Amino acid sequence: MASRKADVTAAAVRRHFPGPLTHEALLGVVVLVELGYFAAAGSNFLSAGNAAEVARASVEIGLLALALTPVIVTGGIDLSVGSLLGLAAVLMGAMYRDLGLPMGAAALVGVLVGVAGGALNALLVTRLGVPPLIATLGTYSLFRGVAEGFTGGVRNYTDFPAGFLFLGQGRLPGGVPAQLPLLLAAAIFFWLLLHRTPAGRGLRAIGFSPDGARYAGIPVARRLALVYVLSGLMAGMGAAVYAARLGQAKADAGTGFELFAITAVVLGGTSIFGGRGSVPGTLLGLLAVALLQNGLRLSDLPAELAGILTGVMLIAAIGAHRVFSERSRG
Amino acid sequence: MNLRLAFLLALAPLVVTGCQRGAETKGQLTVAMMPKNKGNPYFVSCHKGAQEAAGPLGVKLLWDGPTETDPAKQNEVVEAWITRGVDVIAVSVENKEAISTALRKARGQGIKVVTWDADAEHDARDLFVNQATPEGIADVLLEQTARILGGKGSFAIITASLTAANQNEWIKHIRELLGAKYAGLTLVDVRPSDDDRKRAFDETQTLLKVHPEVKVVMAIASPAIPGAAEAVKQSGRADVKVTGLGLPNASRPYLKDGVLDSVVLWNTMDLGYLTIQVASALAKGTLKPGQTSFTAGRLGPLTVAGDNVLLGQPFTFTKENVDHFDF
Repeated sequence: MASRKADVTAAAVRRHFPGPLTHEALLGVVVLVELGYFAAAGSNFLSAGNAAEVARASVEIGLLALALTPVIVTGGIDLSVGSLLGLAAVLMGAMYRDLGLPMGAAALVGVLVGVAGGALNALLVTRLGVPPLIATLGTYSLFRGVAEGFTGGVRNYTDFPAGFLFLGQGRLPGGVPAQLPLLLAAAIFFWLLLHRTPAGRGLRAIGFSPDGARYAGIPVARRLALVYVLSGLMAGMGAAVYAARLGQAKADAGTGFELFAITAVVLGGTSIFGGRGSVPGTLLGLLAVALLQNGLRLSDLPAELAGILTGVMLIAAIGAHRVFSERSRG
Repeated sequence: MNLRLAFLLALAPLVVTGCQRGAETKGQLTVAMMPKNKGNPYFVSCHKGAQEAAGPLGVKLLWDGPTETDPAKQNEVVEAWITRGVDVIAVSVENKEAISTALRKARGQGIKVVTWDADAEHDARDLFVNQATPEGIADVLLEQTARILGGKGSFAIITASLTAANQNEWIKHIRELLGAKYAGLTLVDVRPSDDDRKRAFDETQTLLKVHPEVKVVMAIASPAIPGAAEAVKQSGRADVKVTGLGLPNASRPYLKDGVLDSVVLWNTMDLGYLTIQVASALAKGTLKPGQTSFTAGRLGPLTVAGDNVLLGQPFTFTKENVDHFDF
């Protein structure tokens, strides 16, 4: 009897807090546990300076993860973002160092390279009907290959002007990293897109059933093109932030970023099958992974644990989600 | 419901163990040391040397670095060390320009910075622990050659590529020393291997045919050693020996064969050992800029040239000692 009463209560709770929020609450607990643990185990973990460093190091992957959220919500994937970031970074460096363009113009070229790369993905997925996994696996190799070929793998663009480096290394009043407002702006943009516009509902519908969405009058190809171009745009912007943070642009920039970004998105509760996902979830997923990496370094634990614990977290979060959603259906 | 509880309970042990750990130990010197790549056996043996030095000096040694190819990783590790408030940061630099930003920031916060194995920009560190100077490498390579030839005879060089900066620097010093200290030796030819074992094999075969008077092949790139040694072995010329610069593991079978006489490189364990000695002395104020000599534990007095602490003469691996090294 008692357990039945508990079930009734749980059902009432679920009515008030539907699926994604439950998942986010769970992730919130994970983040709190991390904060509590590392505050006790780490040195200077709970300091404003460290918070700024964690935020600073997370911006590029955060931009990619935000853009990947709507992509994955449509049931797609973009594996090319890390490579595209690298390509945009070296082309931006070349515009500035080799062609002598002003830094602002060079950065704009980098962003446009990102948009163009995203447009290529969009073309492959919408016009040629190539499955996103295959299309972006192809451009993943293509973009990195072009970046490596262009620089011979060794050319390293450095000596950027101080004003540009400020974007990656500077501090705004209050110790806020200079690139953080960019991430916040992107978060607000993608939140509005996914949660507050008809287009966002359309993306979800595409994720549940592309054919159904088409019959419902949703311009499927145009919506898909939009999310892949936005993904490229974020890779281009990420390239500028990355080059400014490290003070260099080399062909290996952003190696492996796509997997970190996808981890943050999936950890955040976005279904890899499409149809379900949230921007706040992605931000929490990003925070959970970033705190883990930073906290382990500050508390004398082997950094290799980061990989293991991220994997455990991912499997536990997804497992929890499946258990809860099945129970709520039953 | 109870499943949800179970998930929360599963996290509880983490919190409990978390509370048992203390913060950074006060009073003890903390040196944070970073290789280019944690998995590379070369750096694993440096770590061994560093641990050997840390114990007796009472230094708490942190060892962390990239395990994958993300070039931003070294910066992230340094940033974490700055936050942690370590006393000394010692880095083997992968990306000079990128890491220098983070190292300058560390210096700005009163952390001593040492580079080792590969240097950063000059203003980004206090000292560089330099494992070998081009003069030192040239001298010890010629010393080996002269010993094999009995002070007089012809040799040829298999280099990396004809444009490789390091190798060309060594060859320049070899040529200078040939005119002075090693006047009995004649350098007959310099051939490229393009860092490729097969190419080194082909070039050495050609070399032995074109210049039969050559009695020593000096291979000065790591992949060139086994390539040149294999070519000499297959030629059956027992009067020709190979020497050069390379890694012990790749050289081991040919050293045992006797085709390869000796391989020159620095002692990586000593490099790690010296780095910790320098880091500790720098933090304690017993090693100051402008000093010309530094006594580094079991390594004895070493030369300090400007802001470089020199490890000294390169180390020679032979059939007898190669089994002590694994990289």
